[in-house]
Amino acid sequence: MRGIKADGTAITVMAVDDSPVSRKMIKKALEPEGFQVIAEAGNGKQAVDMYASVKADVITMDVTMPVMDGLDAASAIKAINPGQPIIMLSAMGDEDIINDARRRGINDICSKPFKPDEIIEKILRIV
Amino acid sequence: MELNAQLAPFVKATIKNLKDMLGFEVNTGGMEPETDEFTSQGYTVLIGFTGGWKGRLILDMPRETAMKMASAMTGEPYSSAGDEEVLLSGAELGNIIGGNAITEINNSQPGLQIRLTPPSVFTGMGMTMFNARVNSSSLLIKTDVGPVKVNVAVEGAQ
Repeated sequence: MRGIKADGTAITVMAVDDSPVSRKMIKKALEPEGFQVIAEAGNGKQAVDMYASVKADVITMDVTMPVMDGLDAASAIKAINPGQPIIMLSAMGDEDIINDARRRGINDICSKPFKPDEIIEKILRIV
Repeated sequence: MELNAQLAPFVKATIKNLKDMLGFEVNTGGMEPETDEFTSQGYTVLIGFTGGWKGRLILDMPRETAMKMASAMTGEPYSSAGDEEVLLSGAELGNIIGGNAITEINNSQPGLQIRLTPPSVFTGMGMTMFNARVNSSSLLIKTDVGPVKVNVAVEGAQ
């Protein structure tokens, strides 16, 4: 169970994606390994608003979303807590988007479609 | 078979995702140049793109194929292609395939800055779509859960 920490508690995740199916796929990949998806947001603004009351060990962040995109949401969350681990999860992986994500302090990038092992290993590297 | 430059990245991304994400067996059929009409097999995902290229991608398949595709994505069984999760799965698949293809195009031709528009999903037998001012190309991909047609139209393409 790679999603369980040394103290026996689960590694917690906030899944931010405008697609409910994508959020379901994230849960399907992580929960069998013991990770707990404790919060879900459908756009960047919801994620930033939710961040005031919900702290997860890691945030998976889609890029293209309505209202506020994932890059702006990541910047807003990093402004509140620079140490918050964030993984960008997107089907768009242009070099300029990746460079922008790095400039904003996003810790790692995982392209869609992702394999469960790939996202799990990326989470374990930054948590 | 040689694909035209507009269709090739989308076909490559579709095959990759049908195989790697959904675990389907795939092989490609012939390329069909289309002119002004496109007739659906029953379930259609449409996603536009804008920027250096303007056009749209269509993924079209029978409704049974769409339900199996959605089941492969979510792990749930479905009995109707009109189920909200089947529609959302098609939208997400279109987004991923379109995103992967556009990424390849943008990285190989810096400056194009192509971006996707939000996807739409339609269901209905024999629905005909008309392409104004643009020709399109299609490739039929045969999978073990049914045929998937990839159709790409780019403004200004031959």
